Amino acid sequence: MNLIERVVAISRRRSPWICRLNAGSCNGCDIEITPLLSPRYDAEQLGVELHGTPKHADIVLISGTLTLRSREAILDIYAQVPNPKAVVALGSCPASGNVFAGSPLVLSESLDSVVPVDVWVPGCPPRPQAILDGIARAAKLLEDGATKSQLQNWLGRLS
Amino acid sequence: MAMLKTILGNLLRPSRTRDPADMPDVPPVYRGALAHDAARCTACGTCAFVCAPKAISFTQDPGVSVSWHFFIGQCSFCGLCAQNCPTQAISLNADVPAGMDSAAGDGLRLESVVHLQPCTRCGAAHVPLPDATMAVLWGTEEAERGYCPDCRRWAASARLRSAFVPAAAEEVHHER
Repeated sequence: MNLIERVVAISRRRSPWICRLNAGSCNGCDIEITPLLSPRYDAEQLGVELHGTPKHADIVLISGTLTLRSREAILDIYAQVPNPKAVVALGSCPASGNVFAGSPLVLSESLDSVVPVDVWVPGCPPRPQAILDGIARAAKLLEDGATKSQLQNWLGRLS
Repeated sequence: MAMLKTILGNLLRPSRTRDPADMPDVPPVYRGALAHDAARCTACGTCAFVCAPKAISFTQDPGVSVSWHFFIGQCSFCGLCAQNCPTQAISLNADVPAGMDSAAGDGLRLESVVHLQPCTRCGAAHVPLPDATMAVLWGTEEAERGYCPDCRRWAASARLRSAFVPAAAEEVHHER
């Protein structure tokens, strides 16, 4: 890794831009993101900035139960995020479907089967500090080049 | 000039926002991850029955142990399990579960093993009742403490029989 790549990697950790993706959530997890960006929890001191479009984001926060229809949307939006990228799954729903598991249009499987997830933040909903911790972890992974999508690209280049 | 003063003052002052490490405290009644006390569990299955998202399950190793499984990735932290547990074996921690790197896997799963004990009368393996429950039911010295449910039923009916037919009490002693 040369000096410029190193600087780019560090600045990526120091300023991770995030994009929210509600995959069928009850809005609980999304409501917890709002205080995270407010002065009380102040995610912006870590350089976290919320962006409306996935094309500007480094980290995608995915919340909510996966449904048949949101599966396509997740894949579509995930493809629009520029590399390198990290995915943080918020709450219990992406991991299992939570109380909605077994409903007719709900995919009762973990988000890992749709897109590679780097950090799971448990909670229903998770507290803002847990989400902040998850984002910080994902930013560290981005710097180290250790997110699942980065590792996959790296393996792809080797073969 | 005033602006310059403000800028200089702010340069020397530390940050006025909270550090990431200096987070507001979690309220004491916050419902976080579950804790399970195997010594109090009777493996009655009430928690698994009331759990709406099916985060709690039981598996058994026949004759050896019963395991209580909890998958935090499926929990909605409603606290129904702790509320309904007849022996207060389940409690909800106030601390926040941290982020997990692994997929809905090992770090998120909790297992607690309840070891079976042989019945002191017939030898059948059973889940022992918690000490507090046994103390209420039979005091601390009673022989029935180590009985399996079947033997407890037998002992209760033997006591009943001896109350009606005093002669039968002798038989009971011979049987043992």
